[in-house]
Amino acid sequence: MQMDIIQSIVSALPLGILPFMLFLPLIAAFAVIILGSRTARAITMVIVIIEFVLSIILGLIVDPAIQLDDPTGGALGWQFTITALATGENPPVLQILLGVDGLSIVMIILSNLVVLIAAISSNHIKESKSMYYGFFLMLQSGLLGVFMSIDLFSFFVFWELVLIPMFFIIGKWGEEGAQHAAVKFVIYTHFGSAIMVISFFVLFFVAPTPTFNMVLLRNMGLSPEIQIGFALAVFMGAGVKLPVFPLHNWLPWAHVKAPTPGSVILAGILLKMGGYAFIRLGLWMIPGGFARLSIPLAILAVFTCIYAAFTAMAQTDMKSMVAYTSINHMSWVLLGVSVGAAGLASSDPVLQSAAHLAIQGAIFMMFSHGTIISVMFIMAGQLKYAAGTREITKIKGLLAKAPHMTSVFILAALAAFGLPGFSGFIAEALILFGAVTIYIWAGIIGFGIFLTVGYILWTLNRMVFSDPDPEMEIHEASRSDLIAPVLMMIPVILLGFWPDLVLNFTQSVVAFMLGGSP
Amino acid sequence: MIQSNIFTDILAAMLVPLRDVLVQLPADWYGSIPVLTLILFSILSLIIGLRYNPLPVSIIGVILAILEVAALDSSTYGVSFGGLFVRDAFADFFIYLVLLVAILVMISATQYGGDKGPYNFLFLISFAGAIWVVMATDLVALFMAWELMSTPTYILVALSPDRLGLDGATKYFVMGLISTIFMLFGIALVFGALGTTVIAEVGVGVAAIWAAPASLESQAYTLLLAMALFVIAFGFKIGIFPGWMWVPDTYAAADGSVTAYLAGATKKTGISALARILLVGFIAARFEWYPLIVVIAILTMVIGNFLALAQKDILKMLAFSSIAMMGYVFVGFAVDTQFAISAAFFLAFIHAIMKTGAFVLVFAMSIKLQKRITYEQLNGLSVRHPLAAAFLAIIMISLMGIPFTAGFTPKFVLFMSTVEVGLWWLGLFAFLNVTFSLGYYFRVVRAMYFRTASEEGPLSLPRIPVSIVGICAILVLVLFWFPAPITNLANAAAALLIP
Repeated sequence: MQMDIIQSIVSALPLGILPFMLFLPLIAAFAVIILGSRTARAITMVIVIIEFVLSIILGLIVDPAIQLDDPTGGALGWQFTITALATGENPPVLQILLGVDGLSIVMIILSNLVVLIAAISSNHIKESKSMYYGFFLMLQSGLLGVFMSIDLFSFFVFWELVLIPMFFIIGKWGEEGAQHAAVKFVIYTHFGSAIMVISFFVLFFVAPTPTFNMVLLRNMGLSPEIQIGFALAVFMGAGVKLPVFPLHNWLPWAHVKAPTPGSVILAGILLKMGGYAFIRLGLWMIPGGFARLSIPLAILAVFTCIYAAFTAMAQTDMKSMVAYTSINHMSWVLLGVSVGAAGLASSDPVLQSAAHLAIQGAIFMMFSHGTIISVMFIMAGQLKYAAGTREITKIKGLLAKAPHMTSVFILAALAAFGLPGFSGFIAEALILFGAVTIYIWAGIIGFGIFLTVGYILWTLNRMVFSDPDPEMEIHEASRSDLIAPVLMMIPVILLGFWPDLVLNFTQSVVAFMLGGSP
Repeated sequence: MIQSNIFTDILAAMLVPLRDVLVQLPADWYGSIPVLTLILFSILSLIIGLRYNPLPVSIIGVILAILEVAALDSSTYGVSFGGLFVRDAFADFFIYLVLLVAILVMISATQYGGDKGPYNFLFLISFAGAIWVVMATDLVALFMAWELMSTPTYILVALSPDRLGLDGATKYFVMGLISTIFMLFGIALVFGALGTTVIAEVGVGVAAIWAAPASLESQAYTLLLAMALFVIAFGFKIGIFPGWMWVPDTYAAADGSVTAYLAGATKKTGISALARILLVGFIAARFEWYPLIVVIAILTMVIGNFLALAQKDILKMLAFSSIAMMGYVFVGFAVDTQFAISAAFFLAFIHAIMKTGAFVLVFAMSIKLQKRITYEQLNGLSVRHPLAAAFLAIIMISLMGIPFTAGFTPKFVLFMSTVEVGLWWLGLFAFLNVTFSLGYYFRVVRAMYFRTASEEGPLSLPRIPVSIVGICAILVLVLFWFPAPITNLANAAAALLIP
């Protein structure tokens, strides 16, 4: 009965649910900019709530068992041909091609959730609101587009679209020195994209019939040399976003200087674009290429994890500590992807099931990290308002002075280092089980967990449980400031007990990847 | 798709009466009727300009020329003057480009100079020359048309409201003369080696010589020299590597309408002339000229981008950025497939729209404020004139090549084409150059939106230039989603050159 109502809502949407979700924020962005600052926040809240509800509906109506290359799965698909590239019969065309499977649905729900939370926590933005919310909605369109695209052209279009609003949000509404951070962010990511897009072009031309369609490219069974080259290029593009060790330098800058909602979106979803690109363009499209690179990538992941943990330990700024925590956590995703690729290539059923675990863990890690780190960033942002500083060494006795805020913060911190009962634990456990079965030495990443627990507890010890400093004024955060983080803790705890909520979506996608390319 | 067909059918039906009138003219004129119309109206506006404001007459002339181009199908009515000037798919693409810029420029002339007879006369004569340049199939005819197009622009630059105009005009004139000399020398060498100046016959002759290089070595070297001279001669006008120095001075000194015309239209006719010479006349010598073009493309991109970053004056920045843009277009020539040429033409078209809008708006501001426009003058424009700021921002974003603006697609396709022939490093290099160019385009946006103005209060700009920029900005947004009218023309033009 309810499903009928939902179905009729979906069928009433113009264009279809995917393009509707995709273009609604983009159109609303223009409306917000034109209508001015007074209505900006209200319109944005309405749009992000509609988007969130639509993404839940999307999760309900789509059968996760249907894969992108399934001919019957094209019901939700949508395509728009921009132009033909040559004259004559059947010329190659540039298209916007949309479609979803279990993996994309998880990412779409995550991005709409994080955007919703970030919109709620934007209440401290006072300056040029209409521009801010305009960029904010544009950003949402870009993110959704990346996760919905099933052809390389539209993937790249949306991948680039994300850059511009993010640049402005960091640069204009960030702290002192934010412009430098924004430029650094753009240069790093653009450099990665440049290499990635050249590899897209190569794929276009090596294909027997020139195409950007991911499904067709996957089914073509590209030659190993091409696959390895493409995998390296994807590593450059997605590795910057993820980020991986040598390409990570923009991240602490951008995260620290960005305004709180900006950091939330950066850490909550932008990094996931990297993880998603690794899985979609790597494991899903060219499993062979990634399988050959799996050992170096796994080593890099383990190294990044431990390196980021040590660096995080050395930070005195709360936000920058959280930023390094993200690098630390995202390296788990890379580990899951790389060992998963190794498992995909082998015919041993034990390794195959280990790969299944690791890839599911990687996807779960993206979801769980997206939720946890959002809370962490919001709390780090609150510290600035509550205590006037984010210096870990200067804040003392937080628990005594601001109990409500601190309890949320403690919960988030516990979730961040993967305490059982929170979603982070499930993710790390899944990846670790898979990884150790495939490469026994990958267990070294456990040292990363050890460090993470160490520095987070040490931070709590210094800030929260220490004796209050009588000279320091610390206010309790207001109720309205706590709405967003408390809402966001719900999925964190829920997924800790009921991981199947996410895993149900991803199971069949991962099984499909394990099936190998035809 | 069906609807658009109906739409074009109705348009075509409306133009039938016009065609019926026009075919009464001598058959030898058919292809050149729009040009002859422009010449007629130029004289008319000169005469009317003695007493009245001639601008409406010239605008009517340009609109009439556009209608005539649309009414006379180039496949039936394309030939004129015994095949000296021919309208084909390739020429049509550039004719539409020139006329689109022409109409925008003439509307923009209401700000400055449009009320004077000579100003209108010079513009219309130059439009006529520009159309003949793209139609010319003979080197001598090309030369004549080239001079017809260029000579009025030297004077137009000198007519600038700025005293620097004379300086810019002199520089432009000297450079133009040098390029003319090179061109003439090149034509003479070609005639000496092959005994013909018809471009298609040159193509046949070059192919014959390249097929038997050992015996005809001296002729081959003569032709190579001629080819290099052509590249340099037209390169002066286009503003590519060896001949780019006049561009910033002239663009910054001339009045905005003239600059828009120079950047939007005459540059593109240079590209079309070079395309005809290289791709029709010297296609057999492809492997000789393509390294030259690669080097020119790289140097042009780098020089344009680096110097654009160093500018404070917006007009100069835009001038250098169009030098860089020509570097991207030359990437298409270097790749030299149908795909790449089509993308290069597409980029040229979009570039014309973007640059016209930008120059017109910046010039309108500089007239209003009575000073040169630097980044500081743009500070806080989003508050002082929100509409103009929004339009300029859209154009800047399109110049950057960001998705959802028309500037993105041609660059994407152009860089894509480099991979097909194995020049992927050139594509990567061009892409990184685009990244580099974000630096100075962002500064414009940043000044308009993130800086506070030094002067308070709204800035009132005349409505006409703002609406021109508005048209350009809207075109830029729409052409991302529906570029088919232009890409179809560009594809047809490229298919004609490279079957």
